[in-house]
Order: sequence, then structure tokens, then C-alpha cells
Amino acid sequence: MTNEIKLQNATVSAPKKKHRGASLNAKKARMGWIFILPFVIGFVFIYASVIYESFIYSFAQYNTIPAIRGGGYSLTWVGFDNFVTQLVGTTVDEEGRTFLEMMFTSFGQQVLDVVIIIMFSLFIAVLLNQKMVGRTAFRAIFFVPVVVSAGIIAKIDNTASAIMDSMASMDGIDLGEVSGGGLNALVSAMDFQMMFQNLGVGSGFITMITNLVSNIYDIVSRSGVQMLIFLAGLQSISPSIYESCQMEGATGWETFWKITFPMISPMILANSVYTVIDSFTAESNEVMQAILDISPNGVPNGQQSAAAWTYFTIVIVSLGLIALICKKFVFYQRRND
Amino acid sequence: MNNNQSAPRILKESKNKIRVDFERTSRKERLKAKYLNKNFYKKVLVVIFRLLLLIGISYIILFPFFSKISASFMSPIDFIQSDVKLIPKYPTLDTYRYLITENHYFKAMLNTFILSFSCAVIQTFICAFIGYGFAKFKFKGRGIMFALVMLTMIVPHQILQSSFVQKFIYFDFFGLFKATGLYSALGFTQGIYNTYVPLILLSLTGLAFKNGLFILIMRQFYRGVPDELEESSYVDGYGVFKTFFHIILPLSVPMLITVFILSFSWQWTDIFYINSFMPSSDHLFLTSNDFWAVMPDTLELLKDQAGANYQTYEIAVQNTAGLLVILPLIIMYCFCQRFLIQGIEHSGFGGT
Repeated sequence: MTNEIKLQNATVSAPKKKHRGASLNAKKARMGWIFILPFVIGFVFIYASVIYESFIYSFAQYNTIPAIRGGGYSLTWVGFDNFVTQLVGTTVDEEGRTFLEMMFTSFGQQVLDVVIIIMFSLFIAVLLNQKMVGRTAFRAIFFVPVVVSAGIIAKIDNTASAIMDSMASMDGIDLGEVSGGGLNALVSAMDFQMMFQNLGVGSGFITMITNLVSNIYDIVSRSGVQMLIFLAGLQSISPSIYESCQMEGATGWETFWKITFPMISPMILANSVYTVIDSFTAESNEVMQAILDISPNGVPNGQQSAAAWTYFTIVIVSLGLIALICKKFVFYQRRND
Repeated sequence: MNNNQSAPRILKESKNKIRVDFERTSRKERLKAKYLNKNFYKKVLVVIFRLLLLIGISYIILFPFFSKISASFMSPIDFIQSDVKLIPKYPTLDTYRYLITENHYFKAMLNTFILSFSCAVIQTFICAFIGYGFAKFKFKGRGIMFALVMLTMIVPHQILQSSFVQKFIYFDFFGLFKATGLYSALGFTQGIYNTYVPLILLSLTGLAFKNGLFILIMRQFYRGVPDELEESSYVDGYGVFKTFFHIILPLSVPMLITVFILSFSWQWTDIFYINSFMPSSDHLFLTSNDFWAVMPDTLELLKDQAGANYQTYEIAVQNTAGLLVILPLIIMYCFCQRFLIQGIEHSGFGGT
């Protein structure tokens, strides 16, 4: 917009003068490239070759050459063999599913998880943004999953239940029941099923709800980052907007949908994209687990690359879908784009 | 209205104090009007509900830690006592003491702090810079470049581990660095592998752990910033960079702090990059396998007292190491989140 106005003025004041140097648009484009230059350099000199190698491995057979004969590795071109053997040729779990089948069955569950995580974290962020007693303490507690979600603690967490198990096995008192984890349901699933059976809803819905309640720890621990991002987004909404809303007599509900939601919507898009990537490529994910298990000690493997690239294609496609859906409601505070 | 009626009656008057008696409704009536109405009930209900919900979720988050914390104070004998559940019978600080002294906790913490802090500062600014470029400038190839940023986020680095390691063992720019003697001049006679440089390089180029997310967050944030701010700044004679550093960066402080906290804590607890790029024991970090996976010698000797449950004891020691790793982070967050709350007061959007 700026550009057009300025250009118009230029033509009005000096219509016959020739353009010296680049136009304003070209200048802005150049500035854009300068701003993203760090990434471009890194991509060209570090990342491109690394990702190219991984891509090539998926079409090749990787052989290490022993150190006696000079070390290094050799690649033999095998075409799409890796994809065929990995995707449909071998089974990946006890139920005898192939990799392709597992990928698509876990897909539905993941999509549901993403929706729940976004809604949950927005809800909690709005709650934590209100003034109340102990807000600092609650914020500190809700920050813990952010730290726990990555790196070392995730590794240690796997063994966490070992202590509880050994304690519980020592005698009768059952302590392990409440420890957050996939299998130990927080509330017994049976109670919930009994409750819903009388309502006459479909059994698929009931299992969905029971799964959600059982996995509450999982959901809470995976929505830490999203909560933090939403919180920062909520904090950058000007309080004077809320003030004027209050003066006009809007209720809390109206304020949320008319002010908070549009103002936070760019962050909803960012969070959805992040949640999809995070939950689809987390190490705890069963598909990712299967991919990493193919080559546990980091030696390149053609089948691993093939599986990984097939999976990433799906992730990329779903990201594109999300971007399309979010385009409908994301609101940017500018006149047009 | 009659003036005499509404005028307050003076009870007592001294030099600088005055006591007056108003004609006002009785205290009982006033309290009744304040507390015995629908709005107040509603408010109380909301507060109680909110508090219960938050406490419940906090409990879910914290419960796994209770068992770890209590186990960290247990002596080996506690592990064979069948009546010891959460509260140890023979509480001891030995686990902490030997982890701190024999595994060189403070040395590791200092190293981790230096690395995490420098990486986080670099990542925060680089990602804000790149994000601003994507948000506010239109240029050919912007879509493709942004898709490439997304790609760096989608492909987990675990899959690319060996390629990355190879890259940094033989890192060079067409042989230029070695030929010009740049490496030896900077003191990297063994190449840059096993030093801080690979991680700094990745941070400088926005490729480190989840930097794609930071770029995305900053881009989304800057797209929400109204263009008028920059326009007025250009009109006032600022250049693009001056505008960015003087106008845009200050108003994005809450987001910058969020990104900083995320990158700092992820670098702090990162186990993958540290152990793939700096495996040698010269660099001891909190997340090096040398620190958290190694039993201190003294505890190794004590372990026999736990009898058949010695494995549980070993896990408890590892968990204690994990607690020691995240403890500084939690403390830091408690101080930092104060800055998270302010920020908007200093920003540029008054009443847009």
C-alpha cells in the first residue's frame, strides 16, 4: 500500500523523470532477501546437502566399507525397491500390520489429538491470563511440561513407572493407579462407559471420550508450548480494546469471540502447524518409533529413509490442508495483503 | 434538595483530623446488597471452578514428579522396606551430594549455561530477523523459501544424524578454510567437530532444534503488527534496519522472551545434539551421557544395600540427576515470567 501511494506522488510531481536505480518494490524485495539471508546461507551450505543425502539413501543400498579398506561407504542404486519392501513388504508390529497400514490408522488419532491440544491450550492460556490468586505459581507449573517435553527428561520419563511398579508390587496398596501414563487410566474407563451407556450415544463416541480422559496427562504435557505461545499472544492484545468493549457493554463471551479470537488467530495458525509437526514427528509417536527402530544407532539405512520420506509427504500434505483451512478465519491487523 | 440534610454532622474536630457522621444505610444492608445477589454468586462459582480446574491439572502435571522427588531422598535401605511408599523412612541427601561432587554438577551446569545462553540469544534474534523478513516484505520466491523453513522443521534431525556428523567432521567451504589457515588461526586444529561451533553455526543460520517454529511464531506475530507503524517510521526518516531495531524489536518483547525461554530450555535439556556433536569428555554438560547416565562411584558401592531392588535404586539415581538438570530451569522461569507479563505497556499499539 505504501509503495503505491508514494509512487503515485512521484509520478504527479515529476512525471517525465526517468527512474534511477531500482524501484521501491525491487528495493523492498531486496531488503526481504537480506532479512532472510542467514537462513538462505545455512540452507545452501549446511542443510541442502544433508537432506539431499537422506533423500538419495531412500533410493539406494547403503554399505559401510570397513576401515581396513579405507573406510567410508558405498551406495548402490536400487530404485523404488526400498519403498516397496518397507511400505508393504514387511510387518512392523505384532498385529501384522504393514507400515503403510499403520501410518494411515494412526493418522486419524493424530488429527483428533491436534484439535484437542489446540482447544485445550487456548482455554488454559485464557484462564492463566486472568488476574487471580497464585497465577505465578500456576504459570510456573504449566511451564514444566515444556521442559519435560524435549530432551533428557523424556528419556528418563520412560523409566519413571519402573519405580512405581516396583513399589506397587511390593505389597497390596496400589499406588501406580494415578501415575500419568497411557495405560494407567486416571479414571477407570468402566465408570465412564456406564455413565454414557444410558445416554444412548454411539459406542465409538464413548471410546473416544474414554480415551481422551485416560490420556489427559499426555494431552497436558504436549500442550505446554502452545500454551506459552498463546499466552504471549494474549499479552500483546492492547488492554484498551477490552476496556472499550466493557464500556460498550459486551459480555465476556462476546468479547472472546469478537476480540480475543480474531486477535489471537495468527497464533492459532502457528500453533496448529507446530502441533501437527510436533505430534507427527515426536519420538513417542508409534510411526516415528517404527521409523527410528529400523536403524537404532544412526547408521544411514535405505529403508529408513524411504519410510521417513513417505511419512513426511503425508505430514506436508496435511500441513497444506491446515494452512488452507486457517486462511478462512485468520485475521491480520493490516488493511490488505 | 435541602442542603442541611445532606451535610455531614461533625462529631469531633481537631487540628488536622476530622470525624464526621454520614447519613448512610446500615452496614448490614450494605453487605447484603453487595454479597447477596446473583452476580456475586456467579463470580464466586467461576472463581471456585477455575481454581479447582487449575489445581487438578497442576496435580496431573506434578504427580509424576512427586514419586521422583521422594525417591531422590531415599537411602538404599528404603528400597527394600515394604512399608515405605512416598515418604522415606531413612531420608538422606547422599544421592544429591555424590551426584553434585563426583559427577561435577556445577562444572557441567556452567558449561550448559554458557552454551544454552549463547545459542538462545543468537536463535532469538536470528529468528526474529528472518521472521520479519518473511512477514513484511514481498519478494519472488518467498513462498518457496518459507516452505523450505517448514521442511527443516518437519524432518527430525535424528533421521539426519549421521549426515550432520559427517558434515561437521569434514566441515569446510570448498577447502578454503583449511587452505587460508583460518582454522589454525582460530585454534581449531582438529576441525570444528567436538567444539561449540557446530551448534553456534546451526543457531546462526536458523537450523538448530525447532528453529522453524521460532521463525513461524515471529512471522505470525509480525504479520499481526499494523503496517502504519513502519510507514510512519519511514516517513520520519528511519531506514528499514533502524525501524526494525528501534520500533519493531521493542514491541515484540513478549514474543522474544517466549522464544528465548523455549530455545534456552530446549538447548538446556537437549540430549541429541550434545552427544552427537560433542561426544568427547572434555566438554561436560548436564545432558552429556557422562553426567546423567553415570552412577557416582560412592553410590555404586551403596547400591548393594538395596538388595534385590538395586535396579530401582539406579533408576532413582538417574531420576535425581534429571531433577537436578531441570531445577535451574524452573528457577529461571519463575524469575523470567515476570517480564513475560509486562511488555505490552512498552509496545507501540496504543488504541488501534
